[in-house]
Parts: sequence; structure tokens; C-alpha cells
Amino acid sequence: MSLIKYESFVREPLVDGEKNYHVVTEEIVHTIEAKPTRLWYIGFSIAVILLLLGIYAVYREVTYGITEWNLGRTVGWGWDITNFVWWVGIGHAGTLISAILLLFRQGWRTGVNRAAEAMTIFAVICAGQFPIWHMGRVWLAFFVMPYPNTRGPLWVNFNSPLLWDVFAISTYFTVSLLFWYTGLIPDLATIRDRARTKLRKMLYGIVSFGWSGSTKHWQRHESLALVLAGLSTPLVLSVHTIVSFDFATSVVPGWHTTIFPPYFVAGAIFSGFAMVQTLMVVTRRVMNLQDYITIGHIEAMNKVIVLTGSIVGCAYLTELFIAWYGANIYESDAFFKGRLTGPYSWAYWIMMTCNVAAPQLFWFKKLRRNIEFTFIMSIIVNIGMWFERFVIIVLSIFRDYLPSSWSMYYAASIYEVGFFMGSLGLFFTAYFLFSKYFPVIAIHEIKHVLKTSGESYKARMGKIESEDMEQFYHEIHEAEHH
Amino acid sequence: MIKQQFEIPAGYKKWTLGFLAVGILALVLGFFVLGIGKDEHAQTRFWAVLLQNSLFFLMICNSAMFFICATTLAMGSWITTFRRVPEAISSLVPILGILALIVFACIIFGDKYHIYPWLDKNAVATDRVLNYKKGFLNPVFFLVWTIFTLCTWSFVGWKMRQLSRETDERPLSENQARQFTWKNTIWGSVYIVFFALTVGSSIPWLWLMSIDAHWFSTMYSWYTFGSTFVSGIALMGLFVIYLKNQGYLEYTNDEHLHDIGKFIFAFSIFWTYLWFAQFMLIWYANIPEETIYFKARLQGSYRGIFWLNLIVNFVAPILILMTRGSKRNYTIMTFMCVLILLGHWLDFFQMVMPGTVGEHYNLGWYEWGILALFIGLVMHFVGKSLTKSPMVPKYHPFLKESIMHHT
Repeated sequence: MSLIKYESFVREPLVDGEKNYHVVTEEIVHTIEAKPTRLWYIGFSIAVILLLLGIYAVYREVTYGITEWNLGRTVGWGWDITNFVWWVGIGHAGTLISAILLLFRQGWRTGVNRAAEAMTIFAVICAGQFPIWHMGRVWLAFFVMPYPNTRGPLWVNFNSPLLWDVFAISTYFTVSLLFWYTGLIPDLATIRDRARTKLRKMLYGIVSFGWSGSTKHWQRHESLALVLAGLSTPLVLSVHTIVSFDFATSVVPGWHTTIFPPYFVAGAIFSGFAMVQTLMVVTRRVMNLQDYITIGHIEAMNKVIVLTGSIVGCAYLTELFIAWYGANIYESDAFFKGRLTGPYSWAYWIMMTCNVAAPQLFWFKKLRRNIEFTFIMSIIVNIGMWFERFVIIVLSIFRDYLPSSWSMYYAASIYEVGFFMGSLGLFFTAYFLFSKYFPVIAIHEIKHVLKTSGESYKARMGKIESEDMEQFYHEIHEAEHH
Repeated sequence: MIKQQFEIPAGYKKWTLGFLAVGILALVLGFFVLGIGKDEHAQTRFWAVLLQNSLFFLMICNSAMFFICATTLAMGSWITTFRRVPEAISSLVPILGILALIVFACIIFGDKYHIYPWLDKNAVATDRVLNYKKGFLNPVFFLVWTIFTLCTWSFVGWKMRQLSRETDERPLSENQARQFTWKNTIWGSVYIVFFALTVGSSIPWLWLMSIDAHWFSTMYSWYTFGSTFVSGIALMGLFVIYLKNQGYLEYTNDEHLHDIGKFIFAFSIFWTYLWFAQFMLIWYANIPEETIYFKARLQGSYRGIFWLNLIVNFVAPILILMTRGSKRNYTIMTFMCVLILLGHWLDFFQMVMPGTVGEHYNLGWYEWGILALFIGLVMHFVGKSLTKSPMVPKYHPFLKESIMHHT
């Protein structure tokens, strides 16, 4: 590292206000040490109620069977798999922020990575519920694990992308969890060191694994972060790629198309960032963290949203074009009679409006930096992305090759909706607990960028800014050689 | 001593002339031996090779501007010390665009329907699929959209380069610097959006996918983008290394080269990802009208090239560029840049040839000769373009960040 601290004045500060290391710790940790606010209790209670609702819905389904859901022979995947793909998608932002943006050296990730990673883990947990409970006889769920057995021996179908999904998602979950947790260790140790009660000291002591902050610890910590970043970067791509294979390897018109893998990944990042926005906009206000999650952070994420939304839009239009160009009547019917028009066209147009048209408003800087607009937009995007999965799943299969088995209407039963609500409850229960007991912002990473990108430090860079290039270059050389 | 202004070294001129001489000889010979011969197969070979090369080099030079615009929108400062290199490469877009247009015009007005089957009026009248597609696959739309595309790429690219020149003469005040960044962002966005509408979708369908006019794949355009983008970075890397060796680009160091190496590594894998997704999904679903594309490449005389494509463009970069040291090593990076360029040239070869010349392809004097011609053209025009502006945009608001860049 160069000894000279410098960052162009064109860039906004990543940490606002007059801050030093101590202030950073205080401001982030105090919410953990204080009693939760009333707002927290209200939110947490609502989340738990939703979770209980979900548990009841699942209980009904397990006890009375899959017929508690309105699935039929033609539409055999409905809300459950829609929700599964939706949640997996949401679970992409965290690891993208922590891994890919780490490799790209994007300093702004430090403000949001911790919460985004936590969100990723909760989202993947929610996602996992749907295929598991959809198995019907869930007590046989362990059949998906391939191992020598006495059942025949009965092996799983290695040719099936559904099985690849089991591996992809469990690997992704493991690595994301490790990534998130190892990042937490130094911060947990900070809380331990500040603890006033014995119990807190003990509990945070256990979870921080005896972190002492020695140089050796930091060195190992940083190498591990790089290794995990390298591992999770392909994982971010692979998970949704394999989810897309669930559909694209088939010969169902509307599912079988080669662009699915990258377009699913882009869509996943799109919805993941939208969910991060939803959480961040609320978190920064409730916990008073506006100095760390600045408007600049919000804007950067909105840029990612407009980018990925447009990539997804490009893919939608490509699909439409090829549906015509491919000169295959089944394919074009699936799009032009089953989506653009037809009994479910409303779902298609909701998807198009929310995912492609609406995010284009983020081309305007004013809107990108508007908190209320961002919040509304983040919800619109996730509604759109839910409908995207609904469109892909239901709108491709509700009319199969045999007109006699066309299913003209598919609506979710109350237990399907309840299950979905329950997953939201699970997600928010976990997030509320996280925000109470863990630092929602990576304290040590904020400290790392503070002296180059903090407002008060940047203000002092005027001297370097005014140096001419020769002099600047000379100084850097001097600094690096001594 | 910092050398601010590029002067074309004698050795560079010699090599450029050499490549051009070989290339022009091949073109002239090719024209008489193949182009105007009686043998239709030879004629197709003549045009198919010109098509492959002109499109490949046009699109990789264009991707240099994509690189500039993408890093501009991402506020990436690290490219500032050597940004004149991708700028110079992108200045070839109008020149190679005109060449491609000439090739298109000859193919279309010469009714070379072995290249583009949709040019054959009889086939369009009788073939159900070609007839169905004629609203898109027809000479008028092809030429209008191509010309519009080339003009827009050239104009917006020129605008971006002009903006960059504003940072050569005098320091920018704080306000001017912000305005400068803002203007770059606006033009960069215009370019990126148009890029998505052309390279990201319509242009590869028209220029390349329509060679196999019955066949279709939604991935095709993104695949083509992946191929040309990684080659564009490799070309840029090659020039950066050359200029460093000649004593230019003093502010550019191992850190910058390392990041160029990372881009080549990452986008080689990205290309492979798209390759695999396209291939695997078609193989798995096994629908005849889709598998036909790979049948021609996998089961006939292209088999060797098909696998070589993967070895050169995936196995080599992932193994060789994995370590930190290799991305900071001039020799290894030079080797890899050349390899990637040749590899994707070969990729384009296997995209163009099976649908045009078919089973009996050549990789002989004419193919290598035309490759030499285009290498010569790129060297000549990039060299000339580099002399026209200082090597470093001295007052660029991101230059200081770029100088102290650590990867």
C-alpha cells in the first residue's frame, strides 16, 4: 500500500461527517447494546405472526397432502416454485456485493455488504423451504442425497438439473455462510471487548472464536476473504444458472431457450439489489446510519438496478424476437398467444412494466438519489421479478401440447399464499434478530476505507489535489521506496 | 525521461508494411484465383474469409470503446494512464466499418447466396422458413440497419475521444472536472445503450447468425459479444505492453497490466460460460432444428477446430492466467494476448465457415494472408492514431488515482 492517501475529489465520500475509529464503533455498536426500540418490537411481532401463519400452512400441506395447493396435472409447478426461484434470486445480491465487488475493488460495498450477506443467507433459507415441502412426502427428503444405500440400491438421477440444484444451492449456502461469518468475527470481538455484562462477554466471546486482532489474525482473515471471494464468484453465477437449467434443459416452449442462464443471473442480481435497497432504506433510517449508508450508496445500487434491469429487458426482447424468428409455431404461440395475449397476459405485462419500463426511470440522477422513490421502486422491482418467475413457470405450462389438458385457470389456494407469507415472515424474523444482535455494518471494513474516502479525510486532500503530475508521481515513488 | 508523444518506431513501420504487403498480395491473388474463378466453392471461400476477418476486427476494435464507456459509467479510474490505447484502437471503427460495408455490398449485390442463403430469391420463394423470415432477412433492412449502426458507433466513439482530448491542454477547475465527468457519463450511456441494441442483440443475428439462416439461438449475440470483448482487451493489452517496452506510458505499471490480465482471465471464463450454456442446452434438449448447428461443427471436418476453440480460449487462460505472477509478467501476457486473439479469430472462423464453405474448408495461404492484411491494417491505423494525441491525458480528473492504482 502506498503511504499517500488520495482519492479524486470527483468521488463522493463513502463515510459522511467528522469521524474517527472510535466514533465509528460507537455509532454502529450502540444499537446492539441498547434496548430495541418500539418500532423494532412491532416489526418483529408482525414477522413472527407471518412465520406462524406459514408454519400452519405447511402443517396443512404435510398433513393433508399436496392437494391443499391448487396444483393440477397440467400446472404442476405454481406458487411454490415461483417463490423458490424468487427467493434464490434475492439471495444473489449479498454474495455479489461481497465477492464480485470485492474483486472489483468497489469501496462502496463496505457500507452495505454485511446486511446484504445476511439477507442472502436468509433468502436462501426461505428458498430452500419450497422444493423441500413440495416433495409431498417430506419425510423422504433425504432421498435427494446420493449415497450407497439399501433401497434397491436407489440412486438419484444425476442427469436431472433438479438434482444439480440441490448441490448448487447447498454449496452456495455453505460458502455464503462462511463468508458472512468470517467477516463478522472481528466485529463480534469488538462487541465482546466492549461488553459490560458477563453474559454478553461470554456469548460474544464464544462466537468471535478468540479473535485477538493480532497481525497474524488479520493477515489470515484477509487471505481467507480473498479465497472465499474467488470461490463465491463462480458460485454466484452457477446457482441461478442451474436454476435456469431446471427449465431450459426441457423441451417446453417458453422454457427451452439458450439465453436463460445469463439472463437468470442478471435477473437474480436485479431482484437481489432491489431487496437490499428495501432493507437498507429502512435500516439506515431506523438505526440512524445515514452517514454510512449514504445517498451515494443508494445511488450506486440504483445504477446496478438499472443496468441489470436493462440486461433482463434485452433478454426479454431477444426471446420475443427469436420466438418469431425461430419459425416454430409452438414457440411463437407460447409467446404471442400465451403471454402477450391470452388469459394470463396481465401477468406478462405486469412483469414488463415493473422489470423493464419502470427501472428506466433510474437513468435520472434526481430519481436515483431520491430515498422515497428508491424505496417504492425497490418494491416494484421485486413484484416484477416475482411475476417474471410466475410468467415463466405457469404461462409456459398452462397450455400443453394436448388442448384437452389445457388448464385455463390456475389460482393459488389460501395455503399456498400462506406458505409464501410464512417465508416472508421467516425472512424478516431472521433479519430483525440479525439487526439486533449483530453489527449491520462491517465495522472493520468501514474503518479500512475511512481514511481515504471519509468526508473529513477527503477534505484534507486539497494539497495533493493541487500538485502537478510530475511532483505527485515523484512523491509516490519516494513513498513506495522507503 | 517521459516520452509524451508517440512516434512510430522504424521496426513497427517495417512490420506493418510487411503484414500489409503479404495481405494485399493474398487479397489480389485471392481475387484472381478464387474470387472471379468459375468454381463457386472458391468464390464462397474468397468472400467468407473476408467476411470473417472484417467482422472480427471491426467488432474487437469496437469493443475497445465499449471498454472505455463501461469503465466510465462505473467510474473506474485505473484505465486513465493508458486510456489513449483503447481510444486509438476504437478509432478504427469507421475504417473497418467501411471495409465491412464494402464486403457486405459485394456479397449482397453479387448475390453470394452461399454466404447468406436469404439472398437467393428462388430459395426465399420456395423455402417456408426463409420466406417466413424475409421481413427481417432482406437486403434493404440489412443494409439500412448496418449503415445506421456503423455511423452511430463511429460518431459516439469519436465524441468520447474528443471529450478525452479536453484533458490534454490545461488543468480543469473543480467545476469543470465534474462537468467533464458528467458529459462522459452521458455519452458513455448513449454508447452502452446503443451497444446493447446492436452488439447485444440485432447485429450478430444479421451479420453472423443469418449465415445459418434456418437456425436460431437466443444466446448467439451475447456469445459474440463475449468473444469480441475478450479479444478487444487482449489487443489492448498487446499495445500497452508494446508501448511500455518502447519506453512510453511511464505511469502505467505492473498493477495496470495485472488488471488487464484479470479482465482477460475473467472474460475468457465468461465466454466459456456462454459457450457452455448455449451448447449444453441445445445438446440436452436434442431438438433437430437446433442441434443441426453443432452437428456441422462437432461431427464433420470441423471437429478439431471445435475442440481447439475451447482449449485455446478456455483451458489456456484459466490455467496460465490463474496466478498473480503470470498476469504481471510481460512475456506471459504477450503470449496470452496473442493466443486469445488467434483463438477468437478461430472462433469466428468456426462461426462463419461451416454455413458457407461447408465441409471442405481451408486454412491455407489465403486465410492466413487475409489475417495478415487485417493485422497490418490494425497496426497501421492504431499507430497513426496514437501519434495524434499525447500518450497520457495529463489533466484527467482520475489520472492521479490511476497513477497510484493498486490492484
